[in-house]
Amino acid sequence: MLLPDHQYVRVDSLKDCLKSLRENGERTHVVAGGTDVIFNMRLRLFQPDIALSIRRIAEIKQVEELADGGLRIGAGCRLVDLAENALINERYPAFADSIRAVASSHIRNIATLGGNICLKTRCWYTNNSEQWRQGVKECFKTDGDLCHVIKSSSLCHAINNADTPLPLIVLGAVLTLQREGESRDVPIADFYQKDGMDHTVLKADELVTHVTLPPCADRTVFLKIAARKGMDFSQAAIAARASGTGTKAGEVSLVLGSISMAPIVLHEPARLIAEQGITDAAIEQAEEKVRAELGELTSLYARAGYKAHLAKVLVRRALKALREM
Amino acid sequence: MPPEIKPQVPKDNPGLTVVGQRQPRLDGADKVSGRSVFTDDVVLPGMLYGKILRSTHAHARIKRLDTSKAEALPGVKAVVTAAHATGMSANSTDSVAKASKRRTGKTIKLKTGETIFADDVVTYIGEEIAAVAALDEATATKALELIEVEYEPLPAIMDSRRAVRAGAPQVNEEFPGNVWSQDIDNYGDPDTAFDEADFIMESKFEAGVTHNLYAEFHVALVDFSRPDKLKIWTPTQTSYLMQHSLAPAFGLSVNQVQIIHLNTGGAFSGRGAVRPHHYVAVLLSRETRRPVKVFSAGDEEFLIGRALGKNRYKTRVAADKDGTLRAFDMTCEMDGGAVGNEVGYFGWMAGLSNAWMFDLQGNRFQRKVILTNQRPNFLGHGGMMVSSNCAVQQLLAKVARSLDMDPMDLLLKNAVEQGHTGLSGEVFASCGLKECIETVRRESGWDDKYDKLPPYHGIGVAVGAMAAGAKGAFKHDTSAAMVRVGEDGLITVYTGIPDMGQGTHTTMAMIAAEVLGIDANDVQLVAGDTDLTPIDIGAFAQRGTITTGNAARNAAIDARDQLAVYAAEKLETSVDNLRFAHGQVSRVDDPQQSLPFKEVTWGTLNSMEGRFVMGRGFYNSPLPYGTTSWSFDAQVAEVIVDPETGQIDVLKVTVAHDLGRTINPLAVEGQIDGQVFSAMSQVIYEELVTDDGLFLNPSRLEYKMPRTYEMPEIAHFMIESNDPYGPFGAKEVGEGPVVVAGAAIIAAVSNALGGTLMPEMPMTPMRVLKAIRASELEKSQSQSAA
Ligand SMILES: Cc1cc2nc3c(=O)[nH]c(=O)nc-3n(C[C@H](O)[C@H](O)[C@H](O)COP(=O)(O)OP(=O)(O)OC[C@H]3O[C@@H](n4cnc5c(N)ncnc54)[C@H](O)[C@@H]3O)c2cc1C
Repeated sequence: MLLPDHQYVRVDSLKDCLKSLRENGERTHVVAGGTDVIFNMRLRLFQPDIALSIRRIAEIKQVEELADGGLRIGAGCRLVDLAENALINERYPAFADSIRAVASSHIRNIATLGGNICLKTRCWYTNNSEQWRQGVKECFKTDGDLCHVIKSSSLCHAINNADTPLPLIVLGAVLTLQREGESRDVPIADFYQKDGMDHTVLKADELVTHVTLPPCADRTVFLKIAARKGMDFSQAAIAARASGTGTKAGEVSLVLGSISMAPIVLHEPARLIAEQGITDAAIEQAEEKVRAELGELTSLYARAGYKAHLAKVLVRRALKALREM
Repeated sequence: MPPEIKPQVPKDNPGLTVVGQRQPRLDGADKVSGRSVFTDDVVLPGMLYGKILRSTHAHARIKRLDTSKAEALPGVKAVVTAAHATGMSANSTDSVAKASKRRTGKTIKLKTGETIFADDVVTYIGEEIAAVAALDEATATKALELIEVEYEPLPAIMDSRRAVRAGAPQVNEEFPGNVWSQDIDNYGDPDTAFDEADFIMESKFEAGVTHNLYAEFHVALVDFSRPDKLKIWTPTQTSYLMQHSLAPAFGLSVNQVQIIHLNTGGAFSGRGAVRPHHYVAVLLSRETRRPVKVFSAGDEEFLIGRALGKNRYKTRVAADKDGTLRAFDMTCEMDGGAVGNEVGYFGWMAGLSNAWMFDLQGNRFQRKVILTNQRPNFLGHGGMMVSSNCAVQQLLAKVARSLDMDPMDLLLKNAVEQGHTGLSGEVFASCGLKECIETVRRESGWDDKYDKLPPYHGIGVAVGAMAAGAKGAFKHDTSAAMVRVGEDGLITVYTGIPDMGQGTHTTMAMIAAEVLGIDANDVQLVAGDTDLTPIDIGAFAQRGTITTGNAARNAAIDARDQLAVYAAEKLETSVDNLRFAHGQVSRVDDPQQSLPFKEVTWGTLNSMEGRFVMGRGFYNSPLPYGTTSWSFDAQVAEVIVDPETGQIDVLKVTVAHDLGRTINPLAVEGQIDGQVFSAMSQVIYEELVTDDGLFLNPSRLEYKMPRTYEMPEIAHFMIESNDPYGPFGAKEVGEGPVVVAGAAIIAAVSNALGGTLMPEMPMTPMRVLKAIRASELEKSQSQSAA
């Protein structure tokens, strides 16, 4: 499969990048590691006039230690470097685990954190070649007005399959979004939208430049279930955090991913555990509260019933893992 | 009965110097460094790029097909449609049909009149409608977009069970009721066996739709610019069959068709026939008088590839209380897809192979091939024997359990031995089945584990047998080889057998080296070009080592005999007093008297008479039809099932394979590892998900196959029964292990769930969770009953 015609533009500084995005943002697709973009271009899922490579921008490739004990990570950092970064491994082990869970070592050698955070949603009715897609009706992603996985839906139900956002959400990470002459900070929890088409609040002329992680002394865990032990997207994944020790947990957060258009923050189960502690009885009750928070599930990539089941399994496993820490 | 024949070398201590050594593949360094040339690497001057327009409907009438805009696009050199291929059939198995008549006395209908392009009705998604050749790939792609097709959708039938119901849409008018073929094979006396047996047990089993997912996707480069020479570069298992199919279609004689198969990146039974894309490439090249390359791009591969379709088995086994197995009766409903073609024919293999391992009174295999609007189906790795053996072996474990018998004891009690005559007249001239079973029992720690493992931890055993060589599928089963001796002592073996990863070329080099007493690294291969290489039916039916291997051996003996003349003269002895070994030619009666091999070749080829040494040899089974030799195999698998996620972890597979003799332990281990991988992949992972005939997961990412991380520990045991027909006693390790590994894994999973039969493969996590629920139900029912 050939790439569609496009102009390849490479910028060396953030300034040039933001200028280019201001001038041509609507006609541009940002390429970081390119592990997702390039393939989708081959599939002609998008055919931008300009492919803007941000790989040379030095300003977004640093990991800085902050005075408060947190970290500020450039969106252009490669996953392989972050996975090996001592500070990340020491301070944010669940985040480090999620990085190592992405794809395979070959892909992590070139993929970036920003690319993972901005990863497009995926669907098996769209992520195939253009010729293949002629066998199905146009859907929201391909200029139609229908969703193949939930026919009655007015929204695209493609899956947000990214792994690293889950621990970033429980860690309270904040994204820095820049456009020419302007910068805004968006908590990553508010970055995603429940819409497979328009899955983040990022504007066409904006770039995610940094991820700021506040210090965290709590227990955290990341777990992923996939069909294979690598080179595979999650069928379901979870990041969990709890303060305290043993069964005591003052603050709890649980975030599920890869089963819907956006990461799902599980409020009720978390509240229940925070109140009752991480006891077996509380875990059992928490599990029962999971399904209600998942919303409509699809049989995209895995059966809906299996996703609902895995969600419970992951909540149980994550809580038990936290208790042991 | 075959004539009494003696093994080529004694079983023990045969004085072999090359055979049995761990020889790295001769093409290994080229393969891993990327130097090996595959079809897609070949670019010819003036070459055009071909692309195929495929149906986007599972069943529809083509109301209008307009190619004029595509033809007018600058850079487009030809557009071909059904009009360019009138009267041409994409069916290539005529010779198979004739042979099967010889074998069984009845003709199996093979032709569905599959055309190269859909005429006016398309019957599956992906069916060829038109094709273009253009100066570059982008123009060819653009041209496809300019072809206008107007479809009138027709009702489609996707499920083989529904296809046979009254009123179901018809896929092909020639086959009313969508039944393409229906056969019953009876061996021995199954009726009496079922009447007289103490008890009967039965089960149902289903296998899903697969793709062989070759490392090398489908591709054909054709140069038909000269009307009297058709050259095709393409991966294949059999250039012989390709020549015989393409020559008549294009009005050529067989040797005017030259097949060049370079390296073939995987085949797994799927590359045994000419397919529409080959014909399309020929048509485009004929039309343009330029070389044309047609290749599948990405997910198109899944439309071109033909592999296993949905197979539904019903299995019955008749047995006595003392554990004697009396008979099998298996019914298989096969979804042939829209074309049906050869799958029905190959079905009989599954019926036979289920029974080879056991001394039975009767065996029946009934099969029905049903047409649907799915992709035309064909074979996967292990034919359909992986799934049929899964059905049988699980059921045998259940039979054993019902008798309170250890499955190992059941298998041992019923296992065949050397000299046994099977129900279809086959004679096992060598057989190490019992030794295989005893070996895996011992080496896997079976007696400490069976029914002693914690919950969700299981162990299972399976056995199998595989025919090596199958004369009768064609008039003869011949392979030939030539061995050219260079003056410098370097040897060239000419062979027509394709190496598609199984490493057969290295095997041929070793066999020639053994005969000539030299290092296998001093042998090079010329292969994969029908203009250069002698006849070889191809790499299927496990005929490579036994048939081509014997041919290579015979050719090397012929070359050695020619060299012996000079050596005998120099060593002042007779030609039969010479031994060729360790790079030396020495006198048998006085080993101190010897000449380096290279001196003999130099002397021979630089003589006053001007000699030339070219050994010739061929081999064809001495039987009128059928197989001379069978491999036998037993395996134990150990698994852990995660009861929460339904995921299966295969921990260890212990394999004992009776291959007659080990030519190259390194290659055998590789074959076994690859087949355990493939079987595990088939029974746990691989499945094409379809929505109305459209594959939803046509990619390496979404069509799940395991990777090295999922590989279990594998213990290999090679059982050497020294077959009298095989070269140095060797039989096969081509597909014997794959049909057993899957069954052992499924038996282990069943065991992990307390003996609940697994009703379906692949055993996806959802299905495993369902089976766990079923097993819990069984348990609670049996508890409440007690
Ligand atoms: C075989 C395979 C397996 C995979 N498995 C996984 C997996 O297990 N888990 C997982 O999470 N992902 C997986 N991926 C997807 C992908 O490789 C990763 O998500 C990767 O991190 C993407 O990073 P990238 O730099 O290559 O992104 P790119 O492909 O360059 O970009 C991805 C998207 O993000 C946008 N983007 C990139 N950087 C920025 C930025 N700084 N600001 C704004 N927008 C930006 C791009 O425009 C594009 O839309 C897999 C991919 C493949 C091919």
